[in-house]
Amino acid sequence: MVALKQEEMQGLAEKTVNLAQRKGVDEAEAFVYQGLTTNVNIERGQIAKSSRIIDRGLGIRAIVNKAMGFSYTNMLESEAVIEETVLKALSSAKASKPDKDWHSLPTKKAFSSVEGTYDNKIVELNSEDLVKIASTMLDTAEKTDKRIFPIDGEAGASYLCKAVANSNGIEGFDRGTFIECSLATIAKAEGEVTPVCFEFNIERKYDVNPEWVGKEAARLAVSALKAKRTKTKNSSVVFTQFALQQLLYFTLINTVKADYVQRNQSVFKGKIGKKVASEILTIYDDGLLDSGIRTWKFDGEGVPQQKTPIIEKGILRNFIYDNYAAKKEGKESTGNASRAGYLSTPNVDATNFHVKSGKRSPEELVSGLKEGLLVYFLQGAHSSNPASGEFSVVATPAWKIENGEVAYATKGAMLAGNIFQVLTNVSELANNERKIGQLVAPWVLVENVKVVGK
Amino acid sequence: MKDILNKTVDVAVQKFGAEYAEVRAQKLFKTMLTLKEERVEAAKQGIENGAALRVLVNGAWGFASVGTLNAETLENAASDACKMAKAASVRLKNPIKIAEAKAAKDRVSMKPRKDPSKISIEDKVNTTLIMTNTILGYDSRIKSCTIDYLDLTGTTYFMNNEDTYIEQGKLYIWSRLLATAVEAGVFTYSREEIGSTAGYEIFDTETPEIVGERVAERAVKQLKAKPSKGGTFPAVLGPNVVGVFVHEAFGHLAEADLTLSGSVLLDKLGKKIASDIVTFYDDGSIEGAFGSFKYDDEGVPTQKTLLVKNGVVVGLMHNRETAEKYNTKLTGNARAEDFRFEPIIRMRNTFIEPKDHSFEELLEDIKFGYYLKNFRGGQANLDGTFQVGIQEAYEIVNGEIGAPIRNASISGNTLETLLKVNAVGKDFELWPGRCGKGQTAFVCDGGPHVRIKEVLVGGSA
Repeated sequence: MVALKQEEMQGLAEKTVNLAQRKGVDEAEAFVYQGLTTNVNIERGQIAKSSRIIDRGLGIRAIVNKAMGFSYTNMLESEAVIEETVLKALSSAKASKPDKDWHSLPTKKAFSSVEGTYDNKIVELNSEDLVKIASTMLDTAEKTDKRIFPIDGEAGASYLCKAVANSNGIEGFDRGTFIECSLATIAKAEGEVTPVCFEFNIERKYDVNPEWVGKEAARLAVSALKAKRTKTKNSSVVFTQFALQQLLYFTLINTVKADYVQRNQSVFKGKIGKKVASEILTIYDDGLLDSGIRTWKFDGEGVPQQKTPIIEKGILRNFIYDNYAAKKEGKESTGNASRAGYLSTPNVDATNFHVKSGKRSPEELVSGLKEGLLVYFLQGAHSSNPASGEFSVVATPAWKIENGEVAYATKGAMLAGNIFQVLTNVSELANNERKIGQLVAPWVLVENVKVVGK
Repeated sequence: MKDILNKTVDVAVQKFGAEYAEVRAQKLFKTMLTLKEERVEAAKQGIENGAALRVLVNGAWGFASVGTLNAETLENAASDACKMAKAASVRLKNPIKIAEAKAAKDRVSMKPRKDPSKISIEDKVNTTLIMTNTILGYDSRIKSCTIDYLDLTGTTYFMNNEDTYIEQGKLYIWSRLLATAVEAGVFTYSREEIGSTAGYEIFDTETPEIVGERVAERAVKQLKAKPSKGGTFPAVLGPNVVGVFVHEAFGHLAEADLTLSGSVLLDKLGKKIASDIVTFYDDGSIEGAFGSFKYDDEGVPTQKTLLVKNGVVVGLMHNRETAEKYNTKLTGNARAEDFRFEPIIRMRNTFIEPKDHSFEELLEDIKFGYYLKNFRGGQANLDGTFQVGIQEAYEIVNGEIGAPIRNASISGNTLETLLKVNAVGKDFELWPGRCGKGQTAFVCDGGPHVRIKEVLVGGSA
């Protein structure tokens, strides 16, 4: 399957909007998406698989009498199917109910300029190149320690592009690249199996370090051996970026979405300008972050992405908006309409949720603690109460800190509490910022977290 | 269609030297609705076509997915898949082999009483609006509700170079209801899912009013709930929690790919891991259940698979690759979400077999413990550490149900916890859900009420 070119994608988007207008819609938007992904997979200690996935399609939003219909197809070769898809968007809108709060699709604004989001070297990678990356990762991990077993891993390269057009004159195209390598390992010794330990790199430019990933994934697994139970008590906890991402994704990030606030699902309703977190905490939603995983010129409905202050020195500053939520309050979108390819309508979501770093190194953070817990991953974060922010999760793998040193791995420790209490109790941020999913953050030290053990 | 697929498989084998080649093609139609309170955010429809080529060359897997059924593109995809496999095979230590499967030729059609593709979108909008109105009308403290609806219909085609050709109808209906309630700064959250492979008739029994009321009632009840204590307590699990526990704490570890990756079950086949009263099945043949189908995505017939019998591990869930490794018979557990994904080992309908206790008998000996009635999410790790989040729970005090508890979760190690099961109820419920393992599979899980001597409860009180 030959990749669609920029002109073809933009042409298709514009043609579809025109067709929808001729069929009698009030407003229309077409979103064309194309993703080309090549992966090489490690399974149970060996490279055993490679895959290439080409996915592309067209999603249409049609508005008739303030009611929205949506339809999509991936059969782009056929003019008849595209017309049928337009008609389905139209019939869906007619079957739907008018929305009194509907204002309009977004209007045209200059797109933002972004850096470090595309690298032609990634587009040109083939599976042989990826086999090399995966091999390096695998070899390094296996050399690090005999007790480890690499269970699962991947080296992958993706090229994504998207075009959007709407009946208010928006038209745009953007493209991006991603390269990723990851390795999950366990360590086995004397009848003990560790929890899965995981490391990865993801970058927009061809700049990953498979040696580091392999070595770290192995080091973590080995140090997770000889785990001991902990006692139930309130404790200082250092959350690594993985654990923080899992916790925030299901709680805080929802709390700052304008639609959650408008729908009474956010405890931050009415708290703009008020203190909601420790004064050392500053968070931006930065859709323009250099080389950010979620950095694009425009969002899922063609609105320029931007940098929005969320929390500054503990004070709540803004919520994040798509066009619909913004217009409902007479505001402008913050460029936070997120979209899962062509398959569905946009939703409010964070771009790069950037927690500002502190000054001390992660080692210094640990060495300052007489007693505490270092938490790499959480199990069950998705079972948090997204409305109240309450969570009850397992910290695994996690390590006990004693007298300023990582002393031993813990087994089955649970953490229970409320994310908003956690935000208030943040006492220090390290200087080791990294990107994990939509989070960009350092390690975070939190005081007085309830650890439930035996 | 058959000719195109046949040619594609031929090209892979004859031109590019594949030892094994299969092609899966799909034609799918979807209807989706999202309602936020009374607002129909969007009525959505989708049409998609696509194919997935999977080949073994020099003992390595190659996979290519394309969103088209065009013959020429499929031949190119066959070439791509074989090239991929060759590239991957360079570093192979143990070439992959697959267990023998009986060739099958079959055409399976779905026979819904109410075919969702023949029901108008207006009717579907009405069904979801009844849910919304039921929830919002239940109590003024309910502040929001979100309803998602999905139906998927279509046909999948499977062909391999071993003379298997299957055309299989697809039909899924799914809906999720979320409600939040607020009172005096307390936020509660409640979730329900329904899912079926039978037809739109699911709404005749799980009517929008019944399901709406169930989700609303829980959100309101939770307003008065208090946080649970943290620590080890006796517990009675409801069928809904038992299901997730079986699925997460045991099921994933018994997926043979994860077992081979080193799950705690690796050396436990034939050994006792649970108390005598524990028997587990994974069954793909329950009519209309959300995890049921006739053939899996390797063209292998589904079956009822016994996993644990009276506490002893007697089976695992397999695809053709792991069945070969274990030199055992196929179970039909290879599933792919759609043509964008390769088939991997997934559960179907997973449950614990009922025994003899009434609910009252399960409670009567407990002085203080928890009744964990309904779950919100769960997760397991290969070392057997499991976590199940709980959205509805109660204290048990002197053998009676007491005050409601909110936002608890239970955790422990599978092998230790299964030995602590000390009574199994005689009731039975199966609940639909969606399971994520890099791709989504529709499943059911369940069982009767079950009592555990002690389990770690993560509470903040």
